[in-house]
Amino acid sequence: MVKDKSDSKNLNSNLKKLSEITEWFDNQEEIDVEEGLKKVKEAVFLIKESKGRLKEIENEFEEIKKEIEPEEE
Amino acid sequence: MLNIGLKSSKAKIVGEVGEAKAGPTGHVYFTLKDEKDQSMMSCIIWKSRYQLYGVKLQEGMKIMASGYPEIYPPSGRLSFIAETIELAGEGELKKQYDELKKKLEKEGVFAEERKRPIPRYPQKIGVITSKQGAVIADFLNNIGKFGFKIKMIDSRVEGQEAVRDLLASIKTFRKTDIEVLVIIRGGGSLESLMPFNNELLVREVSGFPVPVIAGIGHDKDEPLVALAADASESTPTAVANLLNESWEQTLLLLERYERDIIGRYETIFDNYKEIENELRISLSNFKNALLNAKISLRDSLNKSFFGFGILLSKVNQKVVQAEKAIFLNNPERQLRLGYSIARCNGKIIRKTGDVKIGENMDVRVLDGVISSEVKNIKKQ
Repeated sequence: MVKDKSDSKNLNSNLKKLSEITEWFDNQEEIDVEEGLKKVKEAVFLIKESKGRLKEIENEFEEIKKEIEPEEE
Repeated sequence: MLNIGLKSSKAKIVGEVGEAKAGPTGHVYFTLKDEKDQSMMSCIIWKSRYQLYGVKLQEGMKIMASGYPEIYPPSGRLSFIAETIELAGEGELKKQYDELKKKLEKEGVFAEERKRPIPRYPQKIGVITSKQGAVIADFLNNIGKFGFKIKMIDSRVEGQEAVRDLLASIKTFRKTDIEVLVIIRGGGSLESLMPFNNELLVREVSGFPVPVIAGIGHDKDEPLVALAADASESTPTAVANLLNESWEQTLLLLERYERDIIGRYETIFDNYKEIENELRISLSNFKNALLNAKISLRDSLNKSFFGFGILLSKVNQKVVQAEKAIFLNNPERQLRLGYSIARCNGKIIRKTGDVKIGENMDVRVLDGVISSEVKNIKKQ
């Protein structure tokens, strides 16, 4: 299931959802392959989004550091 | 013609006054008797002269007369025309001095309350003295450089002739623009100072329009002119000092003000320096405060950067962990590895007891489901 893009930009909620998914797998006694597959697909999407978002945040962070550092010298 | 010749025979004679009579015109006729040989000489003093010298001729009085002989043409009588008369002998002089002093005192001529203050900061000074001698030099050497405008009239200051000069000088100064009149001469005996005990002169001084300072040296009997003057000093130097006084006092005052002003300015400058130092310290403190703020800012920034880095790394780790967990839990991966899931009546078969021989079961593999029947069960 592909989530709404703006929703998936929120790292916190992504991490929460991923945690829920892994917990789902851990607690699954009767494995529902179809459902498991859906969860995997969702998790993969969330991971990809999260990585992208992380990269963006890192870049932004580096930019901020660059902005501040010349003033500090 | 003879009289012209006689007029040049000027003489001074000393003698005792015999008979003395004033004529209807006011001229005084008297005789002078020689002490030694009792010889006599007829003398005349004209009214104007007689009034000038203040000597009231009386029988027995010892006087000195200056003048010349003259013959009266109608009678051919020889007389001595006295141009000046003055008392001779210390005793007579003292007597005349005391009498006049007493008289003027009674009139209040010497009264303190009549005396006028010497103006402060006088500039226009009239001086009557003899230009010969040390007196004027002493005066001029001691008068300060305060812009004095000194007008001097040279006058005889000794002998009865001096009276005329002194009176004429005072008359001139009456018409001159001056602020104070100074009459000075050196010290001398009562006799030599007699012009300064002249009644007319004393009255002129006491009635002079501006204050008069007398600087007439004397031993014990202060000249009457000095007593009548508004101020009296015993030397010309002292007179100069008196005139300098107000200027010098002001000069001292100005110097004191100058010192005060400089002192106050110095205090102001000191205060400014103090304020400047305080300002410098304040600025330095402010600079330190800024530096501290900067350091603290940088510190908190570093901490924030570091904290954020840790946070990012934690998030990253979580994502990686989730990725791993998903990878491991991916059912497709299990199926791809050759594992399959067997179900009987919809339930996952985990043990041999979950199925019976003859029951149907579905086996889920990577690409589909295999339906099969249980034929045999072998327990291990």
